[in-house]
Amino acid sequence: MDGKAKKTAGMALKYIVLIILAILWVVPIITLVFTAVKSKADFFSGMSLFQMPENIAWDNFTNAMTKGRLFQYMKNDLIICCLKVPLGIFVEAMAAFAITRLTLKKPTAWFTFFLIGMMLPMQVALVPISIIYNKLNLTNTYFGLFYVYIGFGISNGILIMHGFFKGIPRDLDEAAYIDGASKWRTFINIIFPVAKPAVATLLITDFLATWNEYLLATVIINDNKLKTVPVGLMTFVGEHGTDYGYLCAGVLVSVIPVMAVYLIFQRYFVEGMAGAVKS
Amino acid sequence: MKTKKKDYSAYAFMLPALIIYLSVIIFPVGYSLYISLHSGTGVGGMRFVGLTNYITLFQDKIFYIALKNNLIWIFLTVCVTMTVALALAVLLNNKFRGRTFFRAFFYFPCVVAGIAVALIWRWIYNPNIGFINEFFRAIGVDFSQTWISSEKTALIALFVAALWQAIGQPMILFLAGLQAVSVDVLEAASIDGANAVQKFFRVTLPLMRDTFIMVIAILVISAMKVYDIVKGLTDGGPNNATQMLSTYMYSQAFDYNNVGYGTTIAIVMVLIMLIVIIPYLSFTTKNN
Repeated sequence: MDGKAKKTAGMALKYIVLIILAILWVVPIITLVFTAVKSKADFFSGMSLFQMPENIAWDNFTNAMTKGRLFQYMKNDLIICCLKVPLGIFVEAMAAFAITRLTLKKPTAWFTFFLIGMMLPMQVALVPISIIYNKLNLTNTYFGLFYVYIGFGISNGILIMHGFFKGIPRDLDEAAYIDGASKWRTFINIIFPVAKPAVATLLITDFLATWNEYLLATVIINDNKLKTVPVGLMTFVGEHGTDYGYLCAGVLVSVIPVMAVYLIFQRYFVEGMAGAVKS
Repeated sequence: MKTKKKDYSAYAFMLPALIIYLSVIIFPVGYSLYISLHSGTGVGGMRFVGLTNYITLFQDKIFYIALKNNLIWIFLTVCVTMTVALALAVLLNNKFRGRTFFRAFFYFPCVVAGIAVALIWRWIYNPNIGFINEFFRAIGVDFSQTWISSEKTALIALFVAALWQAIGQPMILFLAGLQAVSVDVLEAASIDGANAVQKFFRVTLPLMRDTFIMVIAILVISAMKVYDIVKGLTDGGPNNATQMLSTYMYSQAFDYNNVGYGTTIAIVMVLIMLIVIIPYLSFTTKNN
């Protein structure tokens, strides 16, 4: 075999492997969609899994949204995200600003201290948080939930902002101070706006992490009216364990906002993650 | 005499983060240590029992099953997830049409909630009309299983679902690592007569050492923490076949109200994770 033929064969092999993997990976998504559009009767009629029903069972979707309270769960989750994500990023940026650009005795020690949270499994804080929350009446409150979310996000947020702030030239702050700006002004008007790419990455990854969080939400929220999407989805299993059309419609609806965010901001994931490796 | 005014502004900037961090992470961890030395339900009536919880734990058969499952999970993640992610990264590092699409496609399951993934796979594994058994029937192979409700297959079935979701992150990290391997070095190797396979194993892989260490650390830590997918698919069953430290901790602390014992499991989880994290941290700080 000459070089060229060898190269083509290699390329073909790569494509074949890629296509096989892609088929394996797409199966769950197709199964989800094909199940979500089927009514209970369709299952009993012995219809094949990959057959489209004559009438799409829109009922599954409306039931999931209203009777399954998915609409309510999504609203709750959105409120939590809108509180947690911006507040968290701001607080993290302030701390990272202090560590990278202001006079601290041991900046590295502080930085390491803030990173400990990333290493700890959430389980280690669950019981104390639930005991404290019971005493302070914070269980079943939005505040209670987004407060712990900010706490658990701090390590990662400071890591990302720290990495970005380190790369901003010092001249920028010094010019601002010479012009008579205070530290607060310099942070708000100069440094924070420059960090837009890091903020954007954090906004999106934080939004998704918060939207999908399950463990803390089950411990802090047990009121049906306040549940977030993952906790709410689990109630689908208990109540309607056998109605897979309804269950899959619920899962599909819950995934759609995430998919929209992902498709719009897709490049931030790849770039953001790559940035984390370089720093 | 002029004294320089001390500058406390840095602490002021750090204060909000510090308060939240101390109250949500640091204080609860200390409190957990305290609770682990007590027995009781958490609502009053906590009784100091010393190290009894720890002694009980080290004689608890289910604890060892959970620990074994976590270790198997770590082994599978590092062997299988990492290999598939690396293979995908190598494939998607070539320039061809649709490359961006495939990258986005394989990363997508990462952004779906673990619980949602678990529920999708619950349906795929349905013993009667789920996809997998239907598929075997369709191709005429008699290989129907009860998958997640059989002790023999549950853990592997669970891992396959987790693999589907978890491939994206290590893949992206490997892609970033591959791009950092300089083209000049590879060309130099070609001139010296190395073929593609040799170049990959002798040049690319050694140059990606840091990426490997990072990926392994991330995978091991997340394998120790694995929870959502287990909770959503099997909740530790059948008969503890998929019990993990995280699910065992939750069921002890919240289902059975043994808060002292549950917290003890959590503390032991931290200690086990430190075994992984301390070498990783000392390695990364040495490199910087």
